[in-house]
Amino acid sequence: MDIDSIKTQIEQEVQNIASSGQMSEFKFKYLGRKGIIAELTSSIPNKPKEERASFGQEVNRLKSKLNILISEKEKTLSSGLSQGGLAVVDIGMPGIAQELGQLHPITQVMEEICNIFMRMGFQVVEGPEVETEYNNFTGLNIPLEHPSRDAFDTFYLKDYDRLLLRSHTSPVQVRAMKEHKPPLAIIVPGRVYRPDAVDASHLFMFHQIEGFMVDRGVRFSDLKGILEVFAKGIFGRDIKMRFRPHFFPFTEPSAEVDISCIICKQKGCSVCGRKGWLEILGSGMIHPNVFKNVGHDPAKYTGFAFGMGIERIAMLKYGIDDIRLFFENDLRFLKQF
Amino acid sequence: MKFTYNWLKEFVELKLTPEKLAEKLTMAGLEVKSLQAKDGDFILEIEITSNRPDWLSVVGIAREVAAITGKRLKIPKLVNGPQSMAHGSKARGKTGGLSTVDYRRVSIKIEDIKDCPLYTAKIIRDVLVRPSPEWLKKRLELIGCRSINNVVDITNYIMFTYGEPLHAFDLDKLNTERIVIRRARKGEKISNIDQVERILNEDILVIADEQKPVAIAGVMGGKDTEVDERTRSILLEAAIFDPVVIRRGRRLIGMQSESSYRFERGVDFDTASGSSLLATQLILELAQGSLVSTAESGTRHPELLKIELNPQEANRVLGIQAKKAEIKKMLEHLGFFVQDKRSGLLTVRVPLFRQDVKKEVDLIEEVARIYGYENIPTTVALITPRVGFNQNRELVGIIKNTLVGLNLNEAITYSLISRNLLFGFSDENLVKILNPLSQEQEILRPALLPGLLKVVSHNLNQKQLPVNIFEIAKGFSSGVKTPKEELLLSICLCGIEARFSSQGQIKDRPGLLHLKGILSQVLRRLGISNYSFKLNNNECADLYVQGQLLGRLFKLSQEALDKFDIKNTDVFTANLFLDKVFNLADLSKNIVPLPKYPAIVRDLSIVVKSDLAVDKIIQEIEKSAGDLFREVKVIDYYQGKQIPCGFRGITLSCLYRSDARTLTEEDISALHTAIVNILQDKFQAGLR
Repeated sequence: MDIDSIKTQIEQEVQNIASSGQMSEFKFKYLGRKGIIAELTSSIPNKPKEERASFGQEVNRLKSKLNILISEKEKTLSSGLSQGGLAVVDIGMPGIAQELGQLHPITQVMEEICNIFMRMGFQVVEGPEVETEYNNFTGLNIPLEHPSRDAFDTFYLKDYDRLLLRSHTSPVQVRAMKEHKPPLAIIVPGRVYRPDAVDASHLFMFHQIEGFMVDRGVRFSDLKGILEVFAKGIFGRDIKMRFRPHFFPFTEPSAEVDISCIICKQKGCSVCGRKGWLEILGSGMIHPNVFKNVGHDPAKYTGFAFGMGIERIAMLKYGIDDIRLFFENDLRFLKQF
Repeated sequence: MKFTYNWLKEFVELKLTPEKLAEKLTMAGLEVKSLQAKDGDFILEIEITSNRPDWLSVVGIAREVAAITGKRLKIPKLVNGPQSMAHGSKARGKTGGLSTVDYRRVSIKIEDIKDCPLYTAKIIRDVLVRPSPEWLKKRLELIGCRSINNVVDITNYIMFTYGEPLHAFDLDKLNTERIVIRRARKGEKISNIDQVERILNEDILVIADEQKPVAIAGVMGGKDTEVDERTRSILLEAAIFDPVVIRRGRRLIGMQSESSYRFERGVDFDTASGSSLLATQLILELAQGSLVSTAESGTRHPELLKIELNPQEANRVLGIQAKKAEIKKMLEHLGFFVQDKRSGLLTVRVPLFRQDVKKEVDLIEEVARIYGYENIPTTVALITPRVGFNQNRELVGIIKNTLVGLNLNEAITYSLISRNLLFGFSDENLVKILNPLSQEQEILRPALLPGLLKVVSHNLNQKQLPVNIFEIAKGFSSGVKTPKEELLLSICLCGIEARFSSQGQIKDRPGLLHLKGILSQVLRRLGISNYSFKLNNNECADLYVQGQLLGRLFKLSQEALDKFDIKNTDVFTANLFLDKVFNLADLSKNIVPLPKYPAIVRDLSIVVKSDLAVDKIIQEIEKSAGDLFREVKVIDYYQGKQIPCGFRGITLSCLYRSDARTLTEEDISALHTAIVNILQDKFQAGLR
């Protein structure tokens, strides 16, 4: 068949196309790998030498004509589709996209907290989970045999001399201060371990964030200011805060920090024990003995430190009533965050 | 610590309602856990921090209330000195009873003064042991202490009021003139008043007669010398024991009492001797009897600690502006003796009941408490910014976000696991816990996989499918001085994933290639490009970068799945050593200029033997394709109808480009044909 008659045939056939299926067949017939155009192209070498150039050009012209016809026809086809109702889009059908997974809620809360402090200029430092007795206790002014240790029951390692699983993130205070001179503004997120019997609010492993700032002239009032920025950042601008005196061996003065109950708005509920306040963290001015232990002069530097349990913050923030849910990793739980 | 409102009122002028009192106490550091109205009184329960043993008494709390409210204390002056009560009592000789003890000659021997810095004994005879009067019974019962008899109740009442634990022995049963405070001998036994027999050792301090222990010092009395209704003579003990010894002892025998609770936090000299006198007085009043003699042994009355306080320092640390006179008054209210020095400093003498105050900063805390934490202003500290950031944390963030974008959910599982969950780890490489609460916590996990498989198993039980999860956490293995901690990544894929496409649902069964795809994305995000996956067998492959093994991906064996009770489904997992990955990561970017001339893409569909690795084909093409060739990609593969058994179809896409000009079809058709020919020659590839 010569090129002209192919052209006529194409023009006729295009007019008769009525569906996208027919269009595909048409394309396959002419433009497919073994289609008519491909056949013509591969016949070029068989033509007499003097005809090859003009024949090739004609094939190319045919091909571009074909492409124009196809794209024109496709325009009418697609507009015809919506008019004729051949394949109406049902927008109620599921959207088509790659699904996303979720970060664990503990990670999300941890990141949120770290980001607030990082915006204020704190640096994130991490430490090992296996610690020395010195860093976990003695260096932090916690005597080894004292009732103040009751809050820090600890897992010890077999076959090692006085190594333990850190019971809080505070040993990183000792590590960081030994290594760096003030000024320091550091936060430490991480896993901690305590041999507690498991129930809805206790586990033998959980997460903490420790923070501390050391410089000349750091004041207790600065601690109040920084923690207010944090608490309002996490729980909203409307919460109230209060600082209560408390005792921690590594800070003096020490304070526990409460926020107004975000569940009942201080009207009284079971979560706050009808007190209207929720304890969220412990804090205080770093004890001079800690400075001495890490080799800084307490007459020169002051600083504050604070620490909080991430699970507790997450439970309050999201209204979770059982800490074990975090570690069961039920997908129906994880996918809610 | 429990006490009642009326009880407190006896010792301090109290104008506050119980609710207001509770709030004030909480804000001063005595956190009120509960407040309950009962029998015309109010019961308050306070959480006492371990540094304040003086608050384990009603007078200690009264002192605090006086300081916060500025009201008057009504604490009787505790008279110091053993003789004050003794004279005036009729000290007689031997009793007419069975005892052979000469009560006037009772002596005390302390073996080690460090264990027991003070021991006092009051000998009271002719007591009438009876039920307590109603007021005393009620007072004790309101705070949950069972009434026994007048003598025992008085010792408890004085303890709750003043903080000094007392103990009364039946002197006739004790039958000795010599009280010995010593360490128990190994194997010695004692039956306590709680009816339990305990075997003792050298770490436990006891009160003994000439032969045997009669009480575990500071913890609990012995049954044999208990005071009961037949008791006629008593020895009333008031002592100070070393807090560490009491703590260690009560832990060894596994019990705690109101007494040990106070001793291990510390009682002081004045409270001990004063309480002894007050208790004696009350016994004479309520149980009659007479004080025969007093014996005392121990160290001398300690000197009061002197601390210099700079009011400026207090203001500087707290960020307040309190006047010196104000600060002086606060401390005096709390019972400190304060002298105003011309130097501008305050010299503070610390009363014995405040053993927690040792340094200037401890006094600053007292100033802060009484000033009121709520009155300290809120300031924003100026932070001197430091350059530097935690690169690994950044990388962990990138990995997590990439994985989440690939539809994996992050799990967090316990680092402590049971050794039974492991497979393929030798015991000597495991890090074991000395004191696990259960077998579930016996080792620090060397790998994350067991934790994730538990999560897979849990979700399968809950009919949650597919389970595509990952965790990033530390793995532990034994090391020389300390265990090794390595950051690991573990991924598990389980269950058919159904996705939508324009053709409807597509179902996809996970496999090693899914893991390869996921890891390739992660590595690319970290700037690592020269990685390769090497197949070990059909179910396992290793990931290498620069000859370094970074991780392994595999299908879990049935044996492993059985351990976790995972049935009728395959689980694929990838496990990476992230520390090694991080060493290779490179987040710097170098832009490659965009090409100036268009490329030509030619597809190539071939049929080859199924066992011919596509890597080989690609390598061959890259080797022989000439310099206009730029890259080749697999864009499709197919096995099934139209392809003979033992073969598979692969479609490759080859890209050609010149940096000098626009290529024409003619430029590359020869090149492309050459490639086809080589594949035909080398691999007997057939064209489709």
